Amino acid sequence: MSVIVRTISRVVAPVALAFGAYVIMHGHLTPGGGFQGGAVVASVVALLVVAFGAERWKKWIKVLLPLEDTAALAFVILAFLGVGATFFRNVLAGSGGLFGAPVPQPGPNPGALNTAGTLPLMNWAVGFKVLAGLGAVVLLLALFGREDG
Amino acid sequence: MTALHVLTLSLVVIGAALAVWFRDLLASVIALAGASLLLSLEFYLLQAPDVAIAEAGIGAALTAAIYILAIRKTRPKEEE
Amino acid sequence: MKRWLFLAALLVVAGYLISGGVWLHPFGEPARSEMDRFFIENAQKEVAANNVVTSIVFDYRGYDTLGEATVLFAAVVGVALLLRKVKG
Repeated sequence: MSVIVRTISRVVAPVALAFGAYVIMHGHLTPGGGFQGGAVVASVVALLVVAFGAERWKKWIKVLLPLEDTAALAFVILAFLGVGATFFRNVLAGSGGLFGAPVPQPGPNPGALNTAGTLPLMNWAVGFKVLAGLGAVVLLLALFGREDG
Repeated sequence: MTALHVLTLSLVVIGAALAVWFRDLLASVIALAGASLLLSLEFYLLQAPDVAIAEAGIGAALTAAIYILAIRKTRPKEEE
Repeated sequence: MKRWLFLAALLVVAGYLISGGVWLHPFGEPARSEMDRFFIENAQKEVAANNVVTSIVFDYRGYDTLGEATVLFAAVVGVALLLRKVKG
């Protein structure tokens, strides 16, 4: 692509990457979550592939596809954590450990990052799954076919 | 507020009609992405920010990128 | 004949769409709201999350998310199998 597209991509990509990480990380506090944040990060991948060409990112396929499988496995394992009561039981919520603090007060409140039990971990798992899956799909589609295209 | 809804939805319909009407495929994809972005604005006005973020990420960015990649791969065959 | 059939189908579809727009349910007033009120009142206490939507997606209705993850996994595996580089 042209110099204008590359320059704009260099400016936009880090900001969009930071926004996607924020959406995944604060999924249990603000609107958004794993799927939305992963889609934002995958759109950054698409922007880089369109702007800089797919050949440059070819070796990332070997990273993205195993990352997708690992994140899917992590999501299922997190769901199996609560199998003593029910599948998808939120065992970490309110236990006082990791992400185990209660909400500061019922109703509107500023929110604390260390709440919500397994929800932030599941957000991370689904976020990595979506960003790796959609990014790998875009990259594979860009690499497919003629080399000069 | 109602005027804003009517304006946004009218622009969505106009963008979708332009996506059908354009002969150039690249311009058509850009019109589709614009319609999708305006649809995400409408979701935000209806107080559904989760859906708005998903629509802006998937509908406007990723779909347009995949369409542009497909057009770039197949362009010479269509012009013949 | 074909034109009249097309015109009739167009009239029926347009009638459905316009009547749907005219008799649209008022926004923000669901007919049954017991489940909504349960989630709004109990989600912060039970799941300890401020975002009630995320607590529904990952806790109360976790099976939906599992199905979505399965669909995405199948799609990515299919694309990776179809578009892989064949050696030689």
